[in-house]
Amino acid sequence: MTGQPRDAAHWARYTETLEVAGLRKGAGTRNVEGRRPVSPLQGFGKMWQKTFKVRLEGVGASPVEVVGAWREHFPEISGFGEGFRVPSGGLVPGAVALLAGGLTGVMVLYADEESFTYMTPEGHPFSGWITFSAYRDEDGTTVAQAQFLIRANDPVYELMMLVGMNGAENLQWQGTLRNLAAHFGARGRVETKVVCVDPGRRWRHYKNLRHNVLIRSMLHALIAPLRWLRPRSTG
Amino acid sequence: MSGAAHGGEGLHASLQSLRGEYEGVRELERKRRNDMPQAQVTMDVRRVEGNVSVIDVKGELTAFAEGVLMDAYNQASDGRVRAIVLNFEGLEYMNSSGIGLLVTLLIRVNREKQKLLTYGLSEHYRSIFQITRLDDAIGIHDSEEEAVRAANAA
Repeated sequence: MTGQPRDAAHWARYTETLEVAGLRKGAGTRNVEGRRPVSPLQGFGKMWQKTFKVRLEGVGASPVEVVGAWREHFPEISGFGEGFRVPSGGLVPGAVALLAGGLTGVMVLYADEESFTYMTPEGHPFSGWITFSAYRDEDGTTVAQAQFLIRANDPVYELMMLVGMNGAENLQWQGTLRNLAAHFGARGRVETKVVCVDPGRRWRHYKNLRHNVLIRSMLHALIAPLRWLRPRSTG
Repeated sequence: MSGAAHGGEGLHASLQSLRGEYEGVRELERKRRNDMPQAQVTMDVRRVEGNVSVIDVKGELTAFAEGVLMDAYNQASDGRVRAIVLNFEGLEYMNSSGIGLLVTLLIRVNREKQKLLTYGLSEHYRSIFQITRLDDAIGIHDSEEEAVRAANAA
């Protein structure tokens, strides 16, 4: 691998669209398979940088150990449980995991020993990246951190952000960090910092609505009787 | 006298011991500071033709580079600069936090109605710009001349 930089193995390989591998194919992958990964630049709403931190006081674990456990036990620590389906190869760069039983998913964009990053697909409530990491603070205490750089993907999600989804997301990730601290036997206070990086909305991206997984899933459910009738009438 | 002398020696020994402990603590502090991750990057700013500034990025682009990058941008955008060109020929390492920094830089650049362009990206980093879809918003060029020409074009 002469000429390859040190980070080469940490990044997912370029892919135009997501491919779900290592998980059972079927209805659960419908909203993720074939979708393009999206960065905060392709979203619609205001851009937010959210940082959640917990100091693991009295815990001897190094940042590498903390991130290793976080990655290995992500479904339990995040509170998503069985709704977060990890592919058989684990959360390695390029892997696609399903969320909420396949309603949406995330791709592992980057992973090294001290951090890993998810990137969301089209149709997900947010477009952007979520980075989970750990580092040593000045006094030697290990600090675990989850950082989001996101926009709501379309006008419907932006509206949902305004009426409570934003707060619900914050509670979700504060809970995740508390669970992580508890995993190591600590009771850390979660520090939250929310910064609006770009207050402007990208109106030209309103068309992202066509990928919205909630709308698509609702339509899918509504036309389910038609799909059920069709094979019976032909058969 | 001899008692006072002994007392003086005792005090001296105590002071020596305290100094030793103090030096030990300072050494630990120095060691801890060296263990702390720091920015392993330098960014030199050059002003080139037509109100275009070039930032030569050398080293690692990680979260720890934030201060260096924003200082370089402040220096680069001084005056009536229309475009910022990032020279990535010296880029040795970048993680996802580094990509996040580029997005926040892009937002600042757009707010100032400037353009952000790059050149010198290796194939590896070009593919990272593609997968993160930064190439939708940041112009990628093969050389400084090409990037400066594109910056002056619009």
